[in-house]
Amino acid sequence: MMMQPEKAQSLSSLLAGYRPLPATSDEMIDHDGNVRPGWEQLLSALDGIGPEKLATRFARASQYLLDAGVFYRIYDETGTQERQWPLAHIPILINENDWSLITSGLTQRADLLEAMVADIYGEARLVRDGVLPPDLIAHSPEFLHPLAGVAPASGHFLQFCAFELGRAPDGQWWVLGDRTQAPSGAGFALENRVATTRALSDIASSMNVHRLAGFFRHFRDSLQALIRDPQGRAAILTPGPNNETYFEHAYIARYLGFMLLEGEDLTVSNGRVMVRTVSGLKPVDVLWRRLDAAYVDPLELKPDSWIGTPGMVGALRRKSVSMVNALGSGILETRALLAFLPAVSRALQGRELELPSIATWWCGQEAEREQVIDRIDRMMVGPALSTRLPFEDTEATQLGASLNPAAKAGLVERLRQDGRSLVGQEAVKLSTTPVYVDGRLEPRPFVLRVFAARHKGGWSFMPGGFARVGTSEDTAAIAMQRGGQAADVWVTSSTPVEQNTLLPREDAGFRRNVPGTLPSRAAENLMWMGRYIERAEGTARMLRACHARYAETPNRELPLLAEMRDYLEPLGIDLDEAVPMGLQRSIDGAVLSAGRIRDRFSSDGWLALHDLSKTVRRFAGVVTPGDDATRAMTIILRKLVGFSGLVHENMYRFTGWRFLEIGRRLERGIQMANILSRLGRHDAAEGSLDMLLEIGDSVMTHRRQYSVYSGRISVLDLLALDPLNPRSIMFQVDALKTEFGLLPRPDGSAGMLPFSKDVLRLHTELAVAEAGELTPEALRGIGHDIADLSNTISATYLA
Amino acid sequence: MLYDIRLRLHYDYERSAAGGRHHVRVMPQTLPGIQRVVASSLSFEPSPAERSEFKDFFSNIVTAIVYRNPHETLDIGMTARVNVSRPPMMLDVSPDLAGLRREIRSLWAVDAEAPHHFLTSGIHAEITPEITAYAGTSIRAGRTIIETVADLNRRIHADFAYDGGATNVRTTAGEAFRLRAGVCQDFAHVMIAGLRGLGIPAGYVSGFLRTIPAPGKERLEGADAMHAWVRAWCGRETGWLEFDPTNDMMAGNDHIIVGHGRDYADVSPIVGVLKTSGAQEGKQSVDVVPLELAG
Repeated sequence: MMMQPEKAQSLSSLLAGYRPLPATSDEMIDHDGNVRPGWEQLLSALDGIGPEKLATRFARASQYLLDAGVFYRIYDETGTQERQWPLAHIPILINENDWSLITSGLTQRADLLEAMVADIYGEARLVRDGVLPPDLIAHSPEFLHPLAGVAPASGHFLQFCAFELGRAPDGQWWVLGDRTQAPSGAGFALENRVATTRALSDIASSMNVHRLAGFFRHFRDSLQALIRDPQGRAAILTPGPNNETYFEHAYIARYLGFMLLEGEDLTVSNGRVMVRTVSGLKPVDVLWRRLDAAYVDPLELKPDSWIGTPGMVGALRRKSVSMVNALGSGILETRALLAFLPAVSRALQGRELELPSIATWWCGQEAEREQVIDRIDRMMVGPALSTRLPFEDTEATQLGASLNPAAKAGLVERLRQDGRSLVGQEAVKLSTTPVYVDGRLEPRPFVLRVFAARHKGGWSFMPGGFARVGTSEDTAAIAMQRGGQAADVWVTSSTPVEQNTLLPREDAGFRRNVPGTLPSRAAENLMWMGRYIERAEGTARMLRACHARYAETPNRELPLLAEMRDYLEPLGIDLDEAVPMGLQRSIDGAVLSAGRIRDRFSSDGWLALHDLSKTVRRFAGVVTPGDDATRAMTIILRKLVGFSGLVHENMYRFTGWRFLEIGRRLERGIQMANILSRLGRHDAAEGSLDMLLEIGDSVMTHRRQYSVYSGRISVLDLLALDPLNPRSIMFQVDALKTEFGLLPRPDGSAGMLPFSKDVLRLHTELAVAEAGELTPEALRGIGHDIADLSNTISATYLA
Repeated sequence: MLYDIRLRLHYDYERSAAGGRHHVRVMPQTLPGIQRVVASSLSFEPSPAERSEFKDFFSNIVTAIVYRNPHETLDIGMTARVNVSRPPMMLDVSPDLAGLRREIRSLWAVDAEAPHHFLTSGIHAEITPEITAYAGTSIRAGRTIIETVADLNRRIHADFAYDGGATNVRTTAGEAFRLRAGVCQDFAHVMIAGLRGLGIPAGYVSGFLRTIPAPGKERLEGADAMHAWVRAWCGRETGWLEFDPTNDMMAGNDHIIVGHGRDYADVSPIVGVLKTSGAQEGKQSVDVVPLELAG
């Protein structure tokens, strides 16, 4: 066993008890027990901070991730749920020498993978020349038959790849897997970095850590360079909010300034991919896809995909759009192909691999199969065509050494019977890196993920940023779905590094970007979010007014309350529940709509909305009718108003904001017309008019403008027709008229748009109306007219 | 043999379809050594907003059509004059099962004719232990692959009831096998699944079959339907041979090929994505008229 190093002990109390695992390489401590260069500096800096302050700093990093709303989605037997991003706070250090070995090896590998996938979907010489077994292509679910012979418009299959690396006990880096389908993590890497440097900013700057932003700038430029049509655009294609890494899709879209699109946002017209926007169909030249290829086109690929775009493969066949990465590239992730890469490298490049892959044997070959059987105790055996890493795929992958004799014999039998579908891989002991556990450091296995993007004829690499670290000494516990953690990776330089950010340099001139056109789906979600928020607010106001009265007269049969119960019931609101389901549903609706447009939402707005939802849920179980409910509604209203204020003050006033505003105004107008038609009747229950003023937040105004007593006519005038009262119907219609006038004109429309005509008619009607003429029927009619506006808008922009 | 073939596909949409995008695979094509297309045409009613043609992985002719306007019906009409002339059956030089497996392993190819594409489970032709066991009874020591396949072809014909009401276009091999009933598509899927389960490459063939009216009866206009049968890879020397389990025969000059695929999903006459909330109903009619005096 290794001795506890003298030097290290004096260096840091954090190191007390830190012992690398047997026969395992450790990033921090070398084989002789010395702290490796670079780590000394980090350790002494951490030590200098002191244990209490360090804990505070790490808590701050976690708080940042929580505030920023960084989450990923996990799937378990209870369904899916969002989990906070699990950051391991100590970065992993990699020095520049190691890093340049890695990037040089990966450059060769990325070029090799490109040549290989081009051959697989092109001439298939590797198969004909006996280098690649045909089974691994023809039987692979990742080999997409419709894409055979379809050359990518950009000239390249691969634009963005990731590689999973581990370090063997002898210090050598190994590639454990290639990620070419739709690699995730690059956006999370940015957040790892922000969070980690929030805790350790002083240390990071003194250690010359390479920056990450330059990588994204390069990739953004590369994607934009693929745009051919001056009207065309680049966008990110996401499977939608239910995907485990949707947060990252929205985050990157915001960061790069690209549209975030779902399959249903797109349509193929005359061979061109177009996005449906509120200004009509607009061409898309480049799609950075974050969904698996099979789901992209239900017409030619997976027929039951609900998240694809019919005709997309046809557009690719015509080379009218660049798909990043090309559909079908996922086949390169096939585990068994790792066994053939050295031969492919010799065949295509006449070279050996600079960076080896994890030793892999495809058991469809006799000699290889026997080798795996002979050394079964040192093998992981899993499905040949799997695209998952062995330690992520623990249900399907068996570890020879961990099997009892009967199970081992069974596995050997399977290998003999069905070797073609199996692959053996050397069971690797991954190197460990320190993680911070209860004030001490402990060694944990980790996997480095390195991102590569095509840039100016070569490959650009993200310098560090992302590693996955196990929760125990067990290598299998690295996968995020199983509770693994993510860590920042610092590539450190001996000299100061260039400062990079996506923001242009100050001397680079200044150009105000016109905001992009708004996808119809985003517009629809914004409008509905506006409606739901307003509906929640209106409901909360009515409930507060009711419960205040109930608290004063605990008589549920009070005529006014009976009236309200009748009114609310068809709206799905049960007055006997203190916090009715109907209110929760409105807020859930707002959260759902907002969740589908995360890329357009500030994290503050998102957090405010989430807080609201949590508050309502918390109240639902405990609040009782009457006084308690009155107070609860006041809190909910305050939060609702806070959220609205945030949106009002902070959201950029362009088309998106307009749809949100339209949604609010429509809902408020409809609600006011309906409640007035009920409580504004001649024969309405006693106290109705006071209640109306309260619901309409107009008690003070009415008192000032009219008299102390609520007269029916004056209340109707103030709440229906007064253009200066922000709660009146007239005010909403006025606002709608203005907003409608500022909406983009759909392609090919001439003259006044139908909803502009309708709102003008309604506006005129209200402008000349007298409060005395507002019968319940007239008010209900006005409510219908406003609801019709909503439908016309939907039909024009959102269909 | 020279044929005039007429196919009509008619779809009624319960609610008007706002738009749609379809791939249509109904056109026979010239296949050297089997059939030559003298003339053919394909028409659509209503007229589509876009129409284009391409060849898919298996070299089938695909016509892609797009509708942008509402429509209640869709009519597809295909006519073709095709000359079918298959070579007579040659001497059986196919290997036995073990020999076939060795030949597959020594074949380094992934083109559309390569047997490797036709060995795994498909959406319709799913390999199940039951079907594999059933097919396994056709294996006898000393039997060639052609004999084995022909035996399975005969047994399916004998053991399965032809019943148009038992299954539908989405029925899988496993379901049809449990029912021991179905139509040509089901017979083909069961046979494909059985052959693949044994390691014999098998594919799906869609096309038309000339039906010969009972003696003294007139040929009924439009009474036929599209047909489906099986092709099996019987070794390097022999290549692909076509078997028709519905009729216990090998495909001959009465079989006119439209498309090849792994199962029905690769060659269904029409696939599409339709914007409609209602159900749809389809009808098909086929006439295969032999021209007695060719030329």
